[in-house]
Amino acid sequence: MALLEDLKALGVDTDEGLERLGGNSSLYERMLIKFLDMIEKSAVQPDFDNDNYEDVIERAHAIKGVSGNLSLTPIYKTYTDVVALLREGKPEKAKEELAKVLPVQDEIVECIRKYL
Amino acid sequence: MVEKSMDKEKDKTILIVDDIEINRTILAAIFCEEYNTVEAENGQQAINLLHSGRKFSAVLLDLLMPEVNGIGVLTDMNKSGTIENVPVFLITAADSQEMLLEGYNLGAIDVITKPFLSQFLKCRVNNVVELYAHRNDLERIVAEQVERLNHINRSVVETLATLIEFRDCESGQHVKRICELTRILMTEVSNDYPEYHLQPDEIENIVTSSILHDIGKIAIPDNILNKPGRLTPEEFEIMKQHTVRGCELLQDIPDIIDAGIYNYSYDICRHHHERWDGKGYPDGLSGDDISIWAQVVSVADVYDALTSERVYKKAFSPEKAVDMIFNGECGTFNPKVLFAFKKSLGRIQSGK
Repeated sequence: MALLEDLKALGVDTDEGLERLGGNSSLYERMLIKFLDMIEKSAVQPDFDNDNYEDVIERAHAIKGVSGNLSLTPIYKTYTDVVALLREGKPEKAKEELAKVLPVQDEIVECIRKYL
Repeated sequence: MVEKSMDKEKDKTILIVDDIEINRTILAAIFCEEYNTVEAENGQQAINLLHSGRKFSAVLLDLLMPEVNGIGVLTDMNKSGTIENVPVFLITAADSQEMLLEGYNLGAIDVITKPFLSQFLKCRVNNVVELYAHRNDLERIVAEQVERLNHINRSVVETLATLIEFRDCESGQHVKRICELTRILMTEVSNDYPEYHLQPDEIENIVTSSILHDIGKIAIPDNILNKPGRLTPEEFEIMKQHTVRGCELLQDIPDIIDAGIYNYSYDICRHHHERWDGKGYPDGLSGDDISIWAQVVSVADVYDALTSERVYKKAFSPEKAVDMIFNGECGTFNPKVLFAFKKSLGRIQSGK
């Protein structure tokens, strides 16, 4: 159960995440690995075009939903703000938020990768 | 499309539609204890599954998906009518209100927000699934009861008519033939003359009502009803009363006759001896003051009387009967009804 403990230390609400899956920790871990794939394939980088970012909203929206469901709380909170800012037409502010979360996101991703 | 947790003991199945596998898996994990779960990763797969004939107790539907999105699935469910029987929950992060509203307008029952709160989610879905199952059950029971009531209704009407025929010394076939003739003629008239606004279910009510056209004969004395010769003018006056006496009888038993056929029965009883030129009885109505159904039953009744043997006459051949109707020997009829009669002669004579 070392992975979940490490993630907890990074602010992930693993208790809530586990409860959502009926306490099935192996399923939880499998889903965390799926999340890794998702980030690798469709991470949102803060260098997107300020005038054309519909696809960025879609990706951020998807990451927000999944991180919420996996209780990756720091990621979920920031992406909630990012999606809202983008929908409000404030890409610069969204980028600032994104820049703040990326180191945390990297840490969480690295933590999961260690246990692959 | 992934099928998980198939278990014979679980008779309910939930369809989970989301393009992101993690979300589908989590929902499946939440519901797998009580339901079979079937997953679709886009709207098109969901539509195919919904058309496969398989029964779903609920659909959990993501809105934003590639290919066909959630709105597309809802639109299809509206077209096929499944939206009436299967509750749809929209999966959303609650940040696209316009789409949510559109989803509700298309018949979605509720919204599931991410992140999922599994205990609440189960309660909400279970409640709605039970409600729908209960409602579908009630609808089935009501449909069965309506069917039974219709059957009983028709039986009551047929029983009444059979009683009359017993006294009339007829075979019991007269009423059946009148029904068939009425159905054929009404259908023909409604096809050719839309101005009469006749709907198929109304025609069925008229056909059932035609059974009762002679119910008033129960009030006519045997010596007149079954007189083997020509009636005297006085006797004929009494015989003519079977029309109004039939109506009186119906008025006395309105609860036995279904509301859908009461008015037709009453009208047909009273007016099936009226004639187009106003020379019929009992009210001397003329033209389209006589309802089209009473006019149709008149022709059917005359044709059947002519082609049947009675205590006072032999049966005429169908050809002779048609001649007599068209040359006015039996009174005048609406040319439109006669035209329909002429067109349906083949069917009438073959009994189809």
